[in-house]
Amino acid sequence: MKITNLKKQLGDFCLDIDNIEFEPGMVHGLIGPNGSGKSTLAKIIVDMMPMDSGSIDYGTLSQSDITMTSQKPYLLHDTVYNNLIYPLKIRKIKPQENEVDALLDKCGLLDKKKQYARSLSSGEQQKLSFIRALIFKPKIIIIDETLSNLDPDSAELFEDMILEKQFSNPITWITISHQLVHINKICDKVHFLSNGKNIQSGKANDVLLNPTNQIVKQYMSSTEISFSMLDFNNKEK
Amino acid sequence: MEFFESIFSDFFHSSGVVDSIRVTVIMSFFSTLISSVLGIFFGLLLEHFNFKGKNIIIRINRTLMGSPPVVIGLVAYMLLRGKGPLGFLGWVFTIQGMVFAQVIIITPIICGMVYSYAIRTAPAVRSFAKSMGASKMQINLLILKELKNEIYFSILTGFSRSISEVGAVFLIGGNIKSSTRTMTTAISTLKNAGEFKDGIYLGIILMLMAFIVQSLADYLRKEDEYDENY
Repeated sequence: MKITNLKKQLGDFCLDIDNIEFEPGMVHGLIGPNGSGKSTLAKIIVDMMPMDSGSIDYGTLSQSDITMTSQKPYLLHDTVYNNLIYPLKIRKIKPQENEVDALLDKCGLLDKKKQYARSLSSGEQQKLSFIRALIFKPKIIIIDETLSNLDPDSAELFEDMILEKQFSNPITWITISHQLVHINKICDKVHFLSNGKNIQSGKANDVLLNPTNQIVKQYMSSTEISFSMLDFNNKEK
Repeated sequence: MEFFESIFSDFFHSSGVVDSIRVTVIMSFFSTLISSVLGIFFGLLLEHFNFKGKNIIIRINRTLMGSPPVVIGLVAYMLLRGKGPLGFLGWVFTIQGMVFAQVIIITPIICGMVYSYAIRTAPAVRSFAKSMGASKMQINLLILKELKNEIYFSILTGFSRSISEVGAVFLIGGNIKSSTRTMTTAISTLKNAGEFKDGIYLGIILMLMAFIVQSLADYLRKEDEYDENY
């Protein structure tokens, strides 16, 4: 997926992306300070928000191949099960019960299958939203801070699920996060947005450990994650 | 039906009182039905589209939500009377005329309530459904489904207003015994005739109807409270 000359004005803020490419089958990290336009870009990709000008080349993909989960996911006024199968229902696909149960079981929601989804805790709601995005096998999944509210074990479980998926049947992931350890662990490529512009794109290691742009350097040094820690995790990876 | 009529006939001493219950139920049912269709449609339409003058329309609708029924009744009467632009319908002093006036009263209430609920919920539903790859039709159906409790609540509010309304139905219906006399106008007539007992009984039935409607509304509101955990 390639984005060229994208512009979107929102009040005083202007998202102005000259060029950004999300190669298929890779996990992309979209990072940058608050208000840099990461979520706006994600919404434009999913067609939740129109762009003022520019183009997005989706290649052979259609909008129904792309999905997004957000930090505060929308859950239907329905059970956990009906929330999970909604993407299948609109595609008129009969849910494979064992597959549904396996997904629910993996994130500890199997015993809450018939529970009212909105009664789940916020962490459980995020888990449900994450597996709901996976269930219909989209080609691109955008995770907008979805894993932020999760406890370390759950976040790790989802990181592993992403990596597992990439190993068996790779798709394109765009993960928006401030957690650089998470980005470093799962991303192949990182794009840094600042003030609505894509100021550096490259391999995760290059952007996180050896930033060339001054703003990126400054951001990295001001984050609580030290370079040495990233380096340590990187070696483990 | 005859069974209920015989019960009420034994219960009430004044003639025409049982008919007033029948007229109230018929009038309220049809006015709520028509107002619901119009109110839900326009409420959702207002949420969905942005156009010049939208704020004025919303303000006018909100004004109509609180307008005195007797004024609406007067306007409806002027429209429907023989010399009025809708005089050819011949609806003055008929249940149809009363339904017409009530539709003018209730539609803005349902429309305003549905609009208020929709602007809070529909954008999130729309974004979610879009992110799941839903078609336009599927998105609209999902918005309706997600708003169903709020829509029921709006309809119940409209029905409550309909059964308790006096001014407009008095003006348009003319309070004709066994024809256009509703429970509320019957109570007023019974009071003037000194038939307090029947008036009180009728009032109790009216209160009971309001209680049932309110219980249903409370049940729906309880589900909303549950949502606040979310």
